[in-house]
Amino acid sequence: MKKKTIIYTCPYVPAEWIAAHGFCPSRIIPKAAGNPIVPMEGVCPYVQAFVNQVTTSREATAVVMTTVCDQMRRAFDIVTSSCKLPGFLMNIPSTWQHVGAQKLYLEELKRFGRFLVTLGGKTPSNKFLTEIMLEYNNARSSILAMRKYLTSSQYSQTIATFNRDGKEAVSWTLPKDKPPMAGTSLAIIGGPLLEESFSLFDEIENYGGRIVLDATETGERGICGHFDMDKHQDDPLRELADTYFCIPDVFRRPNNRLYDWLKEQLANREVRGIILWRYMWCDMWHAEVHRLKKWTELPVLDIDVNANEKGLSVRTHLRIQAFVEMLQ
Amino acid sequence: MNNDPRQITLTEWDEHYEHLQKKGLREPDYGGVLSRHVGDGNKRLLKLRYDNSAAALRLWNFLLTEEKRLHQARAEGKKIVGVMKDLGTVPVMAYSLDNVAAFYPDGAWWIPCVMEFGAGLLEVADSLGIDESFCPVRAMLGAFITESHFPIPDKLICSVGATCDDFSAIAQRLDALGYPIMWWEIPHRRKPESDETAVKLPGGGAAPKSQIEFVMSEFKRIKVVLEELTGQYLNAEKLSAGIKKANQVRRCLAELRNIVFTAKLCPIGAIEMLVAEMLAIHFCSDQNETIIVLTELVNEVKSRVQFGKGVLNADAVKVFWINPVADLQVMNLLEDCGGRICGTEYLFSHALDLIPENVPAIEALAMMALADPMVGSSVDRAERICADIRRFGSEAVLISRIPGASHCALEGKVITEAIHAMLEVSVLEIEVPPVSDSIHPTLCTRLEALIETTKRRRTK
Repeated sequence: MKKKTIIYTCPYVPAEWIAAHGFCPSRIIPKAAGNPIVPMEGVCPYVQAFVNQVTTSREATAVVMTTVCDQMRRAFDIVTSSCKLPGFLMNIPSTWQHVGAQKLYLEELKRFGRFLVTLGGKTPSNKFLTEIMLEYNNARSSILAMRKYLTSSQYSQTIATFNRDGKEAVSWTLPKDKPPMAGTSLAIIGGPLLEESFSLFDEIENYGGRIVLDATETGERGICGHFDMDKHQDDPLRELADTYFCIPDVFRRPNNRLYDWLKEQLANREVRGIILWRYMWCDMWHAEVHRLKKWTELPVLDIDVNANEKGLSVRTHLRIQAFVEMLQ
Repeated sequence: MNNDPRQITLTEWDEHYEHLQKKGLREPDYGGVLSRHVGDGNKRLLKLRYDNSAAALRLWNFLLTEEKRLHQARAEGKKIVGVMKDLGTVPVMAYSLDNVAAFYPDGAWWIPCVMEFGAGLLEVADSLGIDESFCPVRAMLGAFITESHFPIPDKLICSVGATCDDFSAIAQRLDALGYPIMWWEIPHRRKPESDETAVKLPGGGAAPKSQIEFVMSEFKRIKVVLEELTGQYLNAEKLSAGIKKANQVRRCLAELRNIVFTAKLCPIGAIEMLVAEMLAIHFCSDQNETIIVLTELVNEVKSRVQFGKGVLNADAVKVFWINPVADLQVMNLLEDCGGRICGTEYLFSHALDLIPENVPAIEALAMMALADPMVGSSVDRAERICADIRRFGSEAVLISRIPGASHCALEGKVITEAIHAMLEVSVLEIEVPPVSDSIHPTLCTRLEALIETTKRRRTK
């Protein structure tokens, strides 16, 4: 029997916790909302796309939304009033530097667990949760190891596919030859990507560039760290919470951990230029553009994705092309 | 000289001031003729209409001398605390200590309006990449950089979590620019689940006990920070005394709001009421004076109601106003169009509710913080608004969108639908920039339509 699906988009929602309760976790990648079901002027296109996808979903059993962004937090009211899908709004603390915030996150996971039980899920034993966590650990390690064998587009799609459809949907067969590592090394950083945005990676390669660091929320940055199952042997949920809580993000206060993470990654990957991918009305990333440009010596291309574009606009294409050419 | 209650221009106030002086007007040290504030660059004052009472004069002078008061406090060796975003709770803690002046740098969002962009704060924000797609609170960034308004606080304490993204993002920039912030978490308020202990919050609504306990732990962190800053121990007695004092202010405001919003004839205009309500959040940097200013206002409106005097037509439509307006003049505009304010929700209704005095002080403050209309869902907010609409008998609702604000894009629809589901009142949503002169014709048309529709409903 096919498992019931729980849909979400936020990286702070642990897939393992959903799976351990007997559900199929699906971190969806929404399509741009060409015609938003609930037109909302001034709302970020990603939120609109997410609302569209959720309110029209026929496969989902429930939706989980989080408080990492104010518009997403408020969109929960729209979703719950626009469709009958059971919804859970998970509170993700913005602060992180004290135990209280971490404990709050752990308590939210427990509350989420109770919600899953109301949907017919079963509270997992520590042993079962540990097994699931190890499964995910292994799958994620394998995906991260695939980076050098895949094109940037394939790699980012693999991460997204794994998060959306699980490991069964991932093609684990590696190409015989490593892809050519030519092209100017670039990083893309920002919020989550829409389904149409993945063409960006190939476009960049066509222009002579190569994304060596996908630091979008959909990419590597949105993957939690490796679980240390020895750390909390009798309490795997705590290990799960501790690890997920450390995902670096722009909404964190202060958000210097994001910069620390970026500093390390940019140096490791020998990045020569940064593309900042942000949505119109996304204040969190928008406010960081100026700071990022001051912080890094690398050139930064600020791409603001406005409206509900199906694919990239001509203007965006030209700007990326010019950026890559400038770096060559 | 006509001494009847009425709204007058700034120029008329000059003449009226002389008249009041001749009649023996007694003023505090910050008193004086209102028009002198235009010399400080507050050009918008020239375009507003004011209440002609001595109480209103004192209110305006109190408001417009706050920056001087803060600089004076610094000169006297007081510690300056910049409280950010929570609107009304942390200042109660700060003012429980001696030698502290706490204020909201957030208040800088009105500077572009009051100075008609003359301060250049938005240009500074622009230069830092915080452009017009953000809420006008971005002026705060400019106020910090230019240091030409409030003194730079000794400590910044900012709530984050269930807050608007604009503010959170701008505050983060401030932190990264070298103005370190003590962040504290306010979680999204949710309804208690069936297996949880529910705590009834001031103003209605409820929160799970676990959330109250979490916020209490955050306030304990803030308490330590304030104690370290001031070298004083903020014990339970001091905090309780601070709460009692804050409640004095809130009681005054509750009385004022009740008299004004339910009076047959509107005894005082919307702008003065907005300014009066704002005093609740940080007492305009002087808690004792706030109580005096509000008491005078209460006495004035009581007297007007007693003698059947008012400042607007008797048939003015009772409008409930949601969100603070970026351009104060639009409140005059509503009155010009035949409306009067009878009920408000300026994002800080929790700062108007009485703080519980029958529970431990820190717990009472946590309850206040969680009662913030912005930390819960817009549906909860709409329920509270509907309760107040019923209480004050408001006939129409005006939602004033704040340009660029992350919450405004989504809450208007939810609040409108909720109000329509519960009440038969017209709802109009408008967006008002800090200086709205260029859109006055459009605004007037929309406001007149709301007033006409509501009046027509009366006759049915």
